[in-house]
Amino acid sequence: MRSLKPRDNRAWFGVLPVVLIVAFSAVIPLMTVVNYSVQDILDFNTRFFVGFEWYRETLNDPRFLSAFVRQVVFSGTILLIEIPLGIAVAKGIPRNSKLTPFILILLALPLLIPWNVVATIWQIFARPDIGLLGVGINALGIPYNYATDPTHAWITIVAMDVWHWTSLVALLAFAGLTAIPRPFYQAAEIDGANRWQIFRLIELPRLRGVLIIAILLRLMDSFMIYTEPFVLTGGGPGNATTFLSQYLTTMAVGQFDLGPAAAFSVIYFLFILLFCWLFYSSVVRNDDS
Amino acid sequence: MAGIRLDKLSFRYPGADTNTLEDLQLDIANGEAHALLGASGAGKTTLLNLLSGILSPTGGRILFDSEDVSALAGRIRNVAQVFQFPVLYESLSVFENLAFPLQTRRASAARIAERVDYVSAELGIAALHKRKPGTLTLSEKQLVAVGKALTRPDTSLVLLDEPLTAVEPRKKWRLRQALLKAQSDLGVTMIYVTHDQTEALTFAERVSVLTADGILQTGTPEEIYQSPAHEFVGHFVGSPGMNFVPASALGVAHGERIGFRPEWALIDAQGPIAGSIKRIRMQSTENGVPMGLITLDTRFGEIAVRSMANLDVGADIALRVNRYVVFAGKTRVGESALA
Repeated sequence: MRSLKPRDNRAWFGVLPVVLIVAFSAVIPLMTVVNYSVQDILDFNTRFFVGFEWYRETLNDPRFLSAFVRQVVFSGTILLIEIPLGIAVAKGIPRNSKLTPFILILLALPLLIPWNVVATIWQIFARPDIGLLGVGINALGIPYNYATDPTHAWITIVAMDVWHWTSLVALLAFAGLTAIPRPFYQAAEIDGANRWQIFRLIELPRLRGVLIIAILLRLMDSFMIYTEPFVLTGGGPGNATTFLSQYLTTMAVGQFDLGPAAAFSVIYFLFILLFCWLFYSSVVRNDDS
Repeated sequence: MAGIRLDKLSFRYPGADTNTLEDLQLDIANGEAHALLGASGAGKTTLLNLLSGILSPTGGRILFDSEDVSALAGRIRNVAQVFQFPVLYESLSVFENLAFPLQTRRASAARIAERVDYVSAELGIAALHKRKPGTLTLSEKQLVAVGKALTRPDTSLVLLDEPLTAVEPRKKWRLRQALLKAQSDLGVTMIYVTHDQTEALTFAERVSVLTADGILQTGTPEEIYQSPAHEFVGHFVGSPGMNFVPASALGVAHGERIGFRPEWALIDAQGPIAGSIKRIRMQSTENGVPMGLITLDTRFGEIAVRSMANLDVGADIALRVNRYVVFAGKTRVGESALA
């Protein structure tokens, strides 16, 4: 048989534009950060190679570790609230009503507001002296103040994130629900299935795809949260709401510790990658069995 | 199981000017396999939804064993349904799917196992019990869906909504055989809704031809084919359908038009219907003689005849009609004796 080895390799030039764009937009910046992470940079002309020193230091830094734990707790909390709540909201949206488009637009509104505006809205809304929510809660006899009480700060940030992003889950879940053909409901009705069985046996399996997307999006996004806590609480009180990205910014921009900040970034990036991979591969493995 | 009666059944969609179904009258015996044959737009789906309880009649009654169920919900009527595409619970195994309608009625585990095994043996799906629907072929899934409709012993009626549409042609025959066998063994009242005359005529003991004007005829497949009660039935059933010529062409005094099937005519030089051969479609050979469907151009329009096909396109021939049905005002008023 004749060899099918390509003799003309000029076709590779065809992919060159893509290679260049990806190189400049992703690979080169990322490698720059990797490069920084193994050096001690005193100023732009004075730098030493330090190997994995910064990585060792970052992973042993108690402030990094506590920010990391806070980050995991935060992402876990908002996922546990937003996913079930989003599904519940989606189930509550009427399917073929004249109101449906209005409800969908109303739901989409929070998604259109810039992060810092959301944070500013809540910053004022929750203020115990002039904010509607803050004043209201205090009027009920609960001494609420997100600026001084870490628990209150946490509740406020979680509430804000839930307010901002549950719509995304709800809209995705609604799209998934409307895609379920009517005979599935008819069959369930004939079989005598109750509402819980309809949800668990028909709706949930058919929502799997959109829920995986919703969880991945919210997981990645919440893991990188920066603007909202920065505007709302500034990471305080104390370090109570200092998450990874804020700590990173303090290091890189505030203290100009480029080497450690770069090592931090690489670790941060790898963790997000790891979590998404763990989640996705466990889902895919479940599919195969 | 139950005998089904439609008594002056009418339905009008909210906001519509006319009734989609008007004064339907139909009796289906207990344990009968009945086919509802109709072109699209005839109201098949509407009638199906009325029977299953998704819609409620705006006039008339639906009786199950002389009990008026018109106002009852589907789950109270005990109507099971098989849809165009297989509807199964994807996260449950085949066994759990089959058991589900019994479980929701709190049947005992022993009773469930007994019924599931019985129905599975009937349909030949016992080997699939442990598998998930996602690993089955389309026709296997549809068989399981049929099984799910049959597991409950108190089912009054099984509705089949074009259940073979999604199944690949080679598997259709096998699936239909399984369905027929289960129907006759279990004595289930089944209503099979389809636009496919072959499916209707080969499945059912009796067929109703439904059009926008109502049920034109109910009868055995033989009756529907041999003596259509309405010109539409003659035209719609059969491939190709009946030929129609004016009654005067054959010298028949009563009636307006005469219908005859392609195999009811013979080539005969002295025959009353003359024409030239327009095209010939070969279909088979009998004793070495090619047989085919010959289309003639006559002064009454195109006429199809099944005959020996050792003829040439363009040749002038004439036909003798051995058997015919006479119509007046579109409905049957008489017919010739069987030749």
